Amino acid sequence: MKKKSSRKRPSRFRLFRVIVLAGVLLTLALIFLVSTLGSQQFGSLHKLILEAVGPLQKTVSIGSSTVNRFKSEYVDILQDSLRLREKNKQLVKQLQENEIKLNRSREAMATNASLRKLLEFKNSLGQQSKLAASIIGKDPSTMFRSVIIDQGSNAGITKGDPVVNDEGVVGQVFAISPNYAKVLLAIAPSSAIDVLLQKSRVRGILKGDGTLTYRLEYILKTAEVQEGEYVVTAGYGGIFPTGLRVGVVSEIIRKPRGMFHEIKVTPSVDYQKLEHLLILHQPNLAEIKQLEQP
Amino acid sequence: MIVINFIVVGLLLVIAQTTVFMPQVDWLPAPDFYFVLVAFLAYRLELIHCLLILFPLACFLDVLCGTVLGSYALICFSGFFLLKTANEKLPIREPLYQIPLIGLVYLAVHYLVYQLLNFLQPDHLVPWSWSPMCIRTLLVMLLAYPFFFFFEKVRTFSVSNLLPWNRIRLRTDNRRRRRT
Repeated sequence: MKKKSSRKRPSRFRLFRVIVLAGVLLTLALIFLVSTLGSQQFGSLHKLILEAVGPLQKTVSIGSSTVNRFKSEYVDILQDSLRLREKNKQLVKQLQENEIKLNRSREAMATNASLRKLLEFKNSLGQQSKLAASIIGKDPSTMFRSVIIDQGSNAGITKGDPVVNDEGVVGQVFAISPNYAKVLLAIAPSSAIDVLLQKSRVRGILKGDGTLTYRLEYILKTAEVQEGEYVVTAGYGGIFPTGLRVGVVSEIIRKPRGMFHEIKVTPSVDYQKLEHLLILHQPNLAEIKQLEQP
Repeated sequence: MIVINFIVVGLLLVIAQTTVFMPQVDWLPAPDFYFVLVAFLAYRLELIHCLLILFPLACFLDVLCGTVLGSYALICFSGFFLLKTANEKLPIREPLYQIPLIGLVYLAVHYLVYQLLNFLQPDHLVPWSWSPMCIRTLLVMLLAYPFFFFFEKVRTFSVSNLLPWNRIRLRTDNRRRRRT
């Protein structure tokens, strides 16, 4: 029984204490609020609080600014560098793409210029039927000189058709398949073309010697030939049209013996840059007969 | 399988030789890949396989290069048999000696074929010149080692039986079973 009564007394006392404390605090708060709002003065309590909180605030502020500075100096730089690296990659890629485009456009321009020349030359040939072709393969042997073109008998090419480009005579078709043909270049030793010296009107046979020069044969020593004279196709055989450029006389070797001059001719065609060609259709015998009939 | 693979390799080599590695019509350092293949065949493969590969290879070459049909067939076959005979007869079979032998045979075969063609069709060939031929011989010798390595890989790949022909082949019966 004693024990029970001793438990109840402190609980009542505690409740009383709480109520008193709350009343005091509320009263003080009310006084503080009324005094503060009423006087509008930064009192000693405010100063005390400020003095107490100030260092903490200062510390936090310094810490924050240090963190911000660190962030701006290191983290942002890192982010920037990563961003720059990404940007750099993009720019390098863009540059490469642009370079590829530039190269393609340059190539297209060069091809365009080459084809334009060929077209002008084709138009200058008049009514003779002709066909454009491109070189797709070159003979790698040291014994022969030939190329393969991307047009064949399906396009109307026949064996023996002359092959030219805008610079002059290139060679003659010597083997054909439905879609491709082999061209014997005029610099090949087995090639022989009937030509004329343009100024002196002397006729000769132009042969290749495997190098980038021709040999002009069967020009009599009595004929007056000068260096720099143009050599053109004679057109006697009916294969090549008359007057197509072949080359320029570059050297005349006058030997004491023999009947003929030994003449070297520089080709008008640049064989190192051969790309696009024109195949002139050789008029066949039936066509020639038709032309001959009135 | 090995025959087909080497025919394809040969065709690709000829195409590369006549296009990519031939920028100009008179390009001097044009590598003769085909002859390295001929040498590899002579050294490493069985005769029947070699012949089956050499016929189409010579045909590709004759079609894509040259003006006298059969000249490349002559070069390929004479080079092949010369190298094969030399490989069988010579006591030394080390790669160190085999590579100069390829160069020597290349030069000799080209010279002999040139003389023969020049005899048959005079003034139809580019005049013989030793300096470009020596450069090409050197190129063939330089290319021999890496290309032999590549061809060896092709050979290993071809004999590795990726397609299990042996498994799917129909077998008639157990040959060792006793007849009753």
